[in-house]
Amino acid sequence: MESTFAFLNPEPVFQGSPHGGADDGYLRGLRVALQPSISVRDWPAEAGSVALSGFTALEDATVVQRLRQAGAYLRGYTRMSEFGFGLGGGEAGAALAEGADIELVLDLMGESRAAAARWKVSAFKPSYSLVSRLGIVGLIPSMECCGLVAPDLGTIRKTLQTVAGPDDLDFSLLDEETPDLSARTIDPAATTVGLIREAADGLSTERQEAFHTSARYLESRGFTLKELSLPDFALFSLVHRIIGSVEASSATGRYDSVRYGPRAPGARNWNEMYLRSRDAAFGTFLKSFLLQGAFFQFNRYEAFEAACRIRAQLVTEMANLCLRAEYLLLPTPQDTPPGPTVGAPADRPASLSATYAQFDSTLFANVTGQPALYLPPTADGTRPGFQLSGAALSDGALLSLGEHLLSDANGEEW
Amino acid sequence: MDYEAVVGLEIHVELNCATKMFCDCPNRPGDEPNINVCPTCLWLPGALPRLSEQALEKAALLCLALGAELQPLCAFDQKVYYYPDLPKGYQLSQAHLPLSRGGAIDITGEDGAPRRLRIHHIHMEEDVAKLVHEMEGRTPIGLVDFNRAGTPLVEIVTEPDFRTPHEAMEFLKALRTQIRYGGASECSMENGTMRADANISIRPRGTTQMNTKVEVKNMNSVRHVGDAIAYEIERQTASVESGEPVVLHTRLWDPDKKVTSPMRAKFEGPCVPDPSVPVIRLSGEWIAEMRARLPEMPTVRAERLATEYGLAPDEALTVSADPQVADFFEALAAQEIEPRTALHWLTTQLLPAVKDTRQELSVCRVTPARLGALLKMMAAGKINANAAREVLTRMFHTDDTPEAIVAAQGFTQVSDPDALGAMVQQVLDEQPAAVADYRGGQVKALGFLVGRVMQASGGKANPKVIRELLTDRLSAAE
Repeated sequence: MESTFAFLNPEPVFQGSPHGGADDGYLRGLRVALQPSISVRDWPAEAGSVALSGFTALEDATVVQRLRQAGAYLRGYTRMSEFGFGLGGGEAGAALAEGADIELVLDLMGESRAAAARWKVSAFKPSYSLVSRLGIVGLIPSMECCGLVAPDLGTIRKTLQTVAGPDDLDFSLLDEETPDLSARTIDPAATTVGLIREAADGLSTERQEAFHTSARYLESRGFTLKELSLPDFALFSLVHRIIGSVEASSATGRYDSVRYGPRAPGARNWNEMYLRSRDAAFGTFLKSFLLQGAFFQFNRYEAFEAACRIRAQLVTEMANLCLRAEYLLLPTPQDTPPGPTVGAPADRPASLSATYAQFDSTLFANVTGQPALYLPPTADGTRPGFQLSGAALSDGALLSLGEHLLSDANGEEW
Repeated sequence: MDYEAVVGLEIHVELNCATKMFCDCPNRPGDEPNINVCPTCLWLPGALPRLSEQALEKAALLCLALGAELQPLCAFDQKVYYYPDLPKGYQLSQAHLPLSRGGAIDITGEDGAPRRLRIHHIHMEEDVAKLVHEMEGRTPIGLVDFNRAGTPLVEIVTEPDFRTPHEAMEFLKALRTQIRYGGASECSMENGTMRADANISIRPRGTTQMNTKVEVKNMNSVRHVGDAIAYEIERQTASVESGEPVVLHTRLWDPDKKVTSPMRAKFEGPCVPDPSVPVIRLSGEWIAEMRARLPEMPTVRAERLATEYGLAPDEALTVSADPQVADFFEALAAQEIEPRTALHWLTTQLLPAVKDTRQELSVCRVTPARLGALLKMMAAGKINANAAREVLTRMFHTDDTPEAIVAAQGFTQVSDPDALGAMVQQVLDEQPAAVADYRGGQVKALGFLVGRVMQASGGKANPKVIRELLTDRLSAAE
């Protein structure tokens, strides 16, 4: 049977070798699966794209360096969607069933959280500017982040503590001290969780019901629920679509098949070579996204500017909501069935609109840069699934809330 | 109809930073091709830009040296275009929030009246790779050198305030001087560390409309900028008068044929904010710190040189135009060398020699202390001017003191009338015709005779003593 891994670490499984990981590190022996958008020196960091086929990373990404130093064992590269955009064609999360303890999944619009929903595991998207992006082959620089997908939050927290923090090589990171990422006690009686009313607008009846079930569960656990309003919630999707596509269009400008990637034959000059090679390198779905970005860039710049203004407003409005409630409850990602069986054709969404619909409840965190946590429901239905968020850099507290909810799943009736 | 020109300049200046703008590669574009490169300036997947602190400081000094106002907030944008000199498909530049706005340079117009030429804004940007076109047998090939990719530049964009080629040339000269003072760049158009493009349009004199402009590139000296603007004004005037509209495009200046020729339609690509270089906030304290680093600026210095050392205004301006020259001059004057002697030797002897030997004044062997010692020996009558020039030439090749060179080469001046008397008499005996000319009233003949005695002494005689001896004897023996 074909593995979900596209590339396996040629170093033997962890035996305390210096290449595999330190003997006494914080993550000693932890088996980490990576998407090939995360550079590991000498590994084929092709980011799921033909444009990068044959490209070998020259350096470790900062997150990889830190994982190695902490003694983690890099298991291999998984199969990923083209540049990690959406889940189509990839197998995000599947590595957990093949001997990985945690998987790093690039989160551009909620991919790590949606993958976790598929595989009934947890996922955490850290705050923007908390985890270095050096060595990440990205697509939407201002929104993307290494998501952490694992069956348990302890592994997620330890991994986050390892990879987070200032990096002299990534100027978009915080200059200040890393915020406290340690576990803390949650007192439900003193904790308010906000529920954004408009986040449920337009959802299927089933998802709306699930959302309210999650809210009732929190109440049953003693939390105070506060209904909040963000009339512009629907704009998150629009803003992501415009700014994300424009950034993606210029971020992929470097894939010209000059230094790596296949060159299309038959071109009479460099311009034709660019056009033909780029035409052959990108898939239809990604191309539609890139062309949309080029359209806003070249033909509707004012729409892009408006999107940037709205984004700044949304960031402020969400930050204000986080002043009224320590945590936010949001609908969980669309519960698509577990990924295709290994090797089966990709279940690629038909269109950009379908993809955006799939991530409608998760992409807010990529637009604002705040952290987001997905918790799966229990198989027996005693506890529903959640998507929770909090203010930017409240990552340590948000994980503690998750741990609190998981620790006492057999609590009272609700 | 009488037309006037409306001209604005766009000037690229390469900052003299140790590293490139967004990585730690050495900023040495002239090295062996493609050795100063890394994943960031090649923009390999996963690379991130890291703005150099020195580039920001030098750019800020440049802005302040031009009287521009640093903005509290500036940011980088992506100038998108696809070309082999740009591996990531966009150039990092500042289109929306530039580093500074405003600023001006005061020049003297052709009519002698002062003119203020305003700067619109100054922004930072990275340079792109260099393309080299060669032939491989009969196949044309293009080679790319990434040493230049990512080198730090600023672009100075002026208001369309220029009306004549003269104004553009004077502006560039003053701009160059002020930037050199700020220490941000050498600003050599010949070496390509300063490049000026001109946007030129014409309109009926007395009107205020702005007509379609033509951009002219490829001028690599201040003189070429003047010539190209003059040519373009004539060309556009002829074109408009014959009823042809001016269309927006870019032209290249051909310095040999002294004409401009069309290059391409002017490309105006879109610019979007770059998400990877963080927005730059400049605090008041930081700006004050930069301002404190600026030295006394050239016009202020020229005034001081004139009053303190008695230089004529134009001499003072010439000296202050180059901070290295002005520093050298003041170091000489500080050794109690007479200022006019110092100025004369600096400008007519030392600077040409520095240029001939292709050295830099600041690092050449002839330091102010060494030249001062030489000039003091001359002032004390120990050597004559001829010998001093000889010694100066030798000083470029040795670290010996001027005194040691004089002693070793036997340059010590002979002023003893007894020692010179015999030589003087011998010349008088050998040159009866010149003697006769002098006595016949041709005073110039004396100079000839002095020269012969100097020659006989091997250049060591004190010309003043010879002159005295000759006039004595020529009048005595009559």
